[in-house]
Amino acid sequence: MELPFARLFQTMPCYLTVQDREFRIVEANERFREDFGEVEGRYCYHVYKRRSERCLSCPVALTFRDGQSHHGEELIRTANGKDLSVMVYTTPIRDEAGKITAVMEMAADITDVALAREQLHESQERYRLLFEEVPCYISIQDPDLRIIEANRSFREDFGDGLGAKCYEIYKHRDKECMICPVKQTFQDGQVHHSEEVVTSRHGEQINVLVYTAPLRDAAGHIKNVMEMSANITEIRQLESQLTSLGLLVGTISHGIKGLLTGLDGGKYLVTTGLQRNDPKRIEKGWDMVRRNIEQIRSMVLNILFYAKDRQPERQWISAPALAGEVADLIQKEAQDRSIVFQKEIDEKAGEIEADHQALRSMLINLLENSLDACVSDEKKDCHQVAFRLLGHSDRVTFEVEDNGIGMDQETREKAFSLFFSLKGIRGTGLGLFIANKIAQAHSGMIRLESEIDKGSRFVVEFPRKPLKGAVC
Amino acid sequence: MCPKKILVVDDDPDTCVYLSTFLEDNGYATDTAKDGVEALQKVEEAPPDLIALDITMPEKSGVRFYRDIKENPARQAIPVIIVTGISRDFEKFISSRRQVPPPDGYVSKPVDLPAFLALVQRCIG
Repeated sequence: MELPFARLFQTMPCYLTVQDREFRIVEANERFREDFGEVEGRYCYHVYKRRSERCLSCPVALTFRDGQSHHGEELIRTANGKDLSVMVYTTPIRDEAGKITAVMEMAADITDVALAREQLHESQERYRLLFEEVPCYISIQDPDLRIIEANRSFREDFGDGLGAKCYEIYKHRDKECMICPVKQTFQDGQVHHSEEVVTSRHGEQINVLVYTAPLRDAAGHIKNVMEMSANITEIRQLESQLTSLGLLVGTISHGIKGLLTGLDGGKYLVTTGLQRNDPKRIEKGWDMVRRNIEQIRSMVLNILFYAKDRQPERQWISAPALAGEVADLIQKEAQDRSIVFQKEIDEKAGEIEADHQALRSMLINLLENSLDACVSDEKKDCHQVAFRLLGHSDRVTFEVEDNGIGMDQETREKAFSLFFSLKGIRGTGLGLFIANKIAQAHSGMIRLESEIDKGSRFVVEFPRKPLKGAVC
Repeated sequence: MCPKKILVVDDDPDTCVYLSTFLEDNGYATDTAKDGVEALQKVEEAPPDLIALDITMPEKSGVRFYRDIKENPARQAIPVIIVTGISRDFEKFISSRRQVPPPDGYVSKPVDLPAFLALVQRCIG
């Protein structure tokens, strides 16, 4: 070989070959001969790869074609059958006229690097798979609480809202939560946890147990926070029967104490009114008794519906008669609370097959909820509640509309949840929950439209006859 | 002599009517407030001789109202009787106070009228 650095060529710690245009090895260094034997004159692809024809992608061929250096990664096998990963570089060898006569190929063993890289890739894939497939919601958030990455479970239930803020996606709200575990973790670098109720993109309420952990950069600064939320809705639903019993006892005994005080008050006014022969006082007292008895009745019925202790008694009932009965009751209550009550009852609405008591309770719950929403609203001088009944060929529609405090999106979404109440002493958090259950038991549905400070509108639609399989 | 005035603070209108009627029947003048905000206004306008206070109320809670009264040197001498349906609330209330003195009495709902009257009489005669 007539190269000036022939010795160097021989001792280079990599495989060096010189190949002709047929890819025959015309020269090879010591290291190559050690591992592949005396192969001069044989084809490169046969020696390196045991192939009978040249590789589809061949850097030597490319260098013959364009005179440039080329490189690529290849897998080769030594004479004694050891597989190696090599990085291949080629360079043209020219004659004095500048014509390419041969190509020198250098193949450096990178088996260890390739193996390490493969392991790294595998481990990254494993973590990615874990991140994607773990059966809980994982999101990575930046300091502005923007979601910059999310796993499959999260994307499925909350959409592909990358870049949106956590509370926009989870709570459908434009303000961050009062207590935010992600913020806390950004502040102190500790793991925090909390329990939340979030709303999926399909409007489904999901109870989640949230854990947060800091993600630090190489310098140890917290760059992002990972939030992991486990869906515990089913556990909560199972627990709710038991835990709610305790809550039920607490909230209801609280409510009952209030109602008993009201009854005592009525009794006191009636008794002293009789003693003093004061008809006005008697009337006032009797109204108090009547009102509180009615409230106890609806509370007890709610409890019974909740406890599923009550067998439904379905019969054909007149929708206008039911609406009229409920309207008369609410009329008085509205008057006492200085609320204008309007009723629009379609007297030809006809009959429906339903449990009279249940529907009565449901309508009273909705109407009382609207009266309460008016009483709680201090922003308007005049309040009104409208109650409508409309008959259609196959169904009837009840509507309850008020101009009370109204609800924001979060309240709207929680409105039918058990024990969600904004009402203080008289609120048991059962009313709308039960109303919804009753509607469902009659194959009906309640639609809620509401806007904060403007008011709410509940629309309940019932088929004239419940579908088969509906149970109270 | 002018009858002594009692301010009944409760978010339930029936309780307000009940207690104020009873107190009036026993020779007191009364006024009512539905929450802490209204009660504070009424105390400022015309300080009563005694306050009957519910703890669980919307708006300003009974606890906050109690603190405001007891931390105000001009008003802290007004006796306050707590009237509430939840004893747990009362315990929380008691444990939450630090610098403020304890209330002058406690009555649970449903109200025992003779006991309530005795308590009022003990405070303001």
